[in-house]
Amino acid sequence: MAPIAPFNASEITEKARRDLLRLLEGIRGKKNLVLEKALAGPLNLLVKFSTLQEYGVDKPFFLENDNVDSSQRNIVFLVRGEKSTVISAVADQIKRVRRDSQIEHEFSIFWVPRRTTVSDQILEEAGVLGEASVSEWPLYFVPLADDVMSLELEDAVEDLYLRKDPTPVYLSAKALMLQQQKYGLFPRIIGKGDHGKRLADLLIRMRTEVAAGEAPSNTGPSFLGLTPSSMIDSLIIIDRDVDFPTALLTQLTYEGLIDEVFNISANQTEVDSSIVGAAPQPGQTGSASTSMKRKIVIDQKDELYSTLSDVNFAIVGNMLNKAARRLQSSTERNQLAAKTTSELRDFVAKLPGYQAEQASLKLHTSLAEEIIKFTHSDVFTRSLEVQQNIMSGTDPTTQHETITELINRDVPLSAILRLLCLESTTNAGMRHKDLEAFKRTVIQAYGPQHILTLSSLEKMNLLQPRGGSGLGVTPAAKPGSVTNYTPLRKSLRLWDDEVNEVDPNDISYAFSGYAPLSVRLIQSIIQKQTLANIIKPPSDPRAAAQANPLAQGLRVFDDATKYVRGATFDQRQTGEEKAVKARSMLNGNHNDAMKTIVVFFVGGVTRAEIAALRFIGNKLKEVGGEGRGSRIVICCTNVITGGSLVGSAVEKGRFRA
Amino acid sequence: LHGRPGISFEEIARAAYDEGRVRLATELLNYEPRAGKQVPLLLSMKEDNIALDKAIESGDTDLIFHVLHHLHKKLPLASFFRVINTRPVATALVESSALDQDRNLLKDLYYQDDRRLDGSNLLLTEALAQPSLSAAHDKLKLASKYLSDSRDPTAQFQRQALDDATKLLRLQEQFDKDLLGSPGGVTSPGLTRGTSLVGLSTHDTIFHLLRQSHTKRAAKVQSEFKIPDKTFTWLRLRALVSARHWT
Repeated sequence: MAPIAPFNASEITEKARRDLLRLLEGIRGKKNLVLEKALAGPLNLLVKFSTLQEYGVDKPFFLENDNVDSSQRNIVFLVRGEKSTVISAVADQIKRVRRDSQIEHEFSIFWVPRRTTVSDQILEEAGVLGEASVSEWPLYFVPLADDVMSLELEDAVEDLYLRKDPTPVYLSAKALMLQQQKYGLFPRIIGKGDHGKRLADLLIRMRTEVAAGEAPSNTGPSFLGLTPSSMIDSLIIIDRDVDFPTALLTQLTYEGLIDEVFNISANQTEVDSSIVGAAPQPGQTGSASTSMKRKIVIDQKDELYSTLSDVNFAIVGNMLNKAARRLQSSTERNQLAAKTTSELRDFVAKLPGYQAEQASLKLHTSLAEEIIKFTHSDVFTRSLEVQQNIMSGTDPTTQHETITELINRDVPLSAILRLLCLESTTNAGMRHKDLEAFKRTVIQAYGPQHILTLSSLEKMNLLQPRGGSGLGVTPAAKPGSVTNYTPLRKSLRLWDDEVNEVDPNDISYAFSGYAPLSVRLIQSIIQKQTLANIIKPPSDPRAAAQANPLAQGLRVFDDATKYVRGATFDQRQTGEEKAVKARSMLNGNHNDAMKTIVVFFVGGVTRAEIAALRFIGNKLKEVGGEGRGSRIVICCTNVITGGSLVGSAVEKGRFRA
Repeated sequence: LHGRPGISFEEIARAAYDEGRVRLATELLNYEPRAGKQVPLLLSMKEDNIALDKAIESGDTDLIFHVLHHLHKKLPLASFFRVINTRPVATALVESSALDQDRNLLKDLYYQDDRRLDGSNLLLTEALAQPSLSAAHDKLKLASKYLSDSRDPTAQFQRQALDDATKLLRLQEQFDKDLLGSPGGVTSPGLTRGTSLVGLSTHDTIFHLLRQSHTKRAAKVQSEFKIPDKTFTWLRLRALVSARHWT
């Protein structure tokens, strides 16, 4: 019994690929491709460049470089259609090419994921709408791994929290809706946070819209498509602004640290070739010969990496060591033992596998070495110390001296801002006096342009005075306007002193002591008993009471969610009875086992949280009891780090002479 | 009738509108779940506010932009602002698109809503974009003036910060003139690295002055901006270390 699982990564990839190639086929002859930079990464994950070439793509250009040449008659733009700046850029380039070029060009625009009326208006005003053939490439989820889907909206954080632009929420809803139309409604939508609530509302709204679209005339897919799914257990939505601190902390898993040090985008990272050696390895596309940076593909398909990525960095050294020993012994012993020709043949057949493993081992050893250099720096240890103290509940004012010292030592601005925001978000704001002093110091140390940075952070609710003046604080009622960590630290056991990093027994391993609140909330929905056992003091009376794992929702931890910012919601989606029956007949008795739990992060997820969720997922799989063999799929608008979270507020301009 | 799927209320409403029964049409449209169809009709019926509300409800930003664009063209600016400023989502979208395209619109919006902090931030952004210092000074002055009669502590803090920025720029200009030598470009020996100080932060200014051993000038900056002694010591330490590195 292996039904096509919903949120199947390879299926989504395949569909996106086919859609794009069909669009390219529609344009005859060779063509030049103009890409929005932000789309290059996702595109790379979906389609190989060689495939694009087979479909007649001659040269790729970046939209931002504004350098399309007129070597080919056909020019294809592949851009996101939601941002007016991008649309104007397209219009400008069409005009430029038309003016400069001798031959007549044919322009095509593929909007991702949809054509918008705004784009039409802008193109029309520029007078180029008529000459472009416009189509849509409905790309929503980009699978980063088998269990991670991302919309790859780079600006999602800035849009949602700084500009208050709900576009990412709308696109998320669309993306989820497509999955629902295929696999049935989410039987239950649970979540926390204002944007999360908005997303849930949109999903329900779109459902009625689809139903209305199924007018008697247009015979769309039958109503079966909109009955509760038998393969999906629930959708859990978490809004990022429910839990900013988790994103602000330095991640301590291997993958998390790679992201912190080198930056991962669309499963790729750039590392200086002096670190990893310039030799291009087999299996890696591209022949970057003399470039300073080397692109490295980071994904779960590499066996070694998949064991390393989610562990705490402290034990990565050991694991690398073990892997090296195993590799050595298996090659050596085999060599010695290989006496008969058949044995030798077997060994030779395995050789490429060993070689690939060796290459990957070499790569990750050098990466780990580089990260160790980073983690051993004085600045890193000092700021980690501050982070750990704040998260474990020490009075934050005791940390101020360290932070000031770090500023005096000219630590990168984003590191400082992360610490300040961390203090502010965990303590419901900073004392007015302290805040002003820090603001002044930051401006003096990093330049007056950061007056803007600070005020953006205030708008994002990342850095604000305690009690909150009228500015920047959500006008919502008092409970739920900020996440209050003091009671949560106890009631959800967010801090764990006896954290075991080698053989973790709790998600707190991902931050060496701190259990991410976002993941704890998810745990309180899908893994109640384990969580109740972890939280010892209140667990005794409750553990007995909630013996029934079917008691879903946030009921058990209602008191906990009271202290968390934003709306709490729990909605059931039911279909028409007849259709429900029909579906259950069709699928036989599936009951509860083997369902998929979809976890959606609005506003980004960090790699350490992904690791923690995988940890829970594995627990669910192994015990027959609580998880019933469920599978967790993580969806998000984008993958973030604390640096990028704060970075969206940082003002880049400066005064010039 | 409602409760039954598959009936296009849009068509019914359009028919009603064609018959001249606007109120009935609007009422009927309430039953139409597809905002994509509802909004254009509402616009053509000149039910602008309802159209905007429906667009916001749908969450489809494209649709919201569509309505906003329409309203912006149609209404005088003041009443356009009045329409949007009761609807936070609409305001946010106008702001965010105006930030890329139409700064003046934004200025008017902030003025009408009395959002002084945002207004002064906008002017500061413009100051940063100025190619010449004197223009930047003008913008900074405006930004500071914008906040002058506000009692809000945040605004007062901001004003102080802006004035400090102006002061710093003037000092930096002065130092540049003194240290970079004559405008002919001949710099005194030993100052070959003496690049312009303008645009640096206060700390960096002190750092560079110390590295080039202009101790007196550095001390002046310190006292001018009340830099704590501890910070100053750190700066001096770092500057001395790096100076030894380079020479």
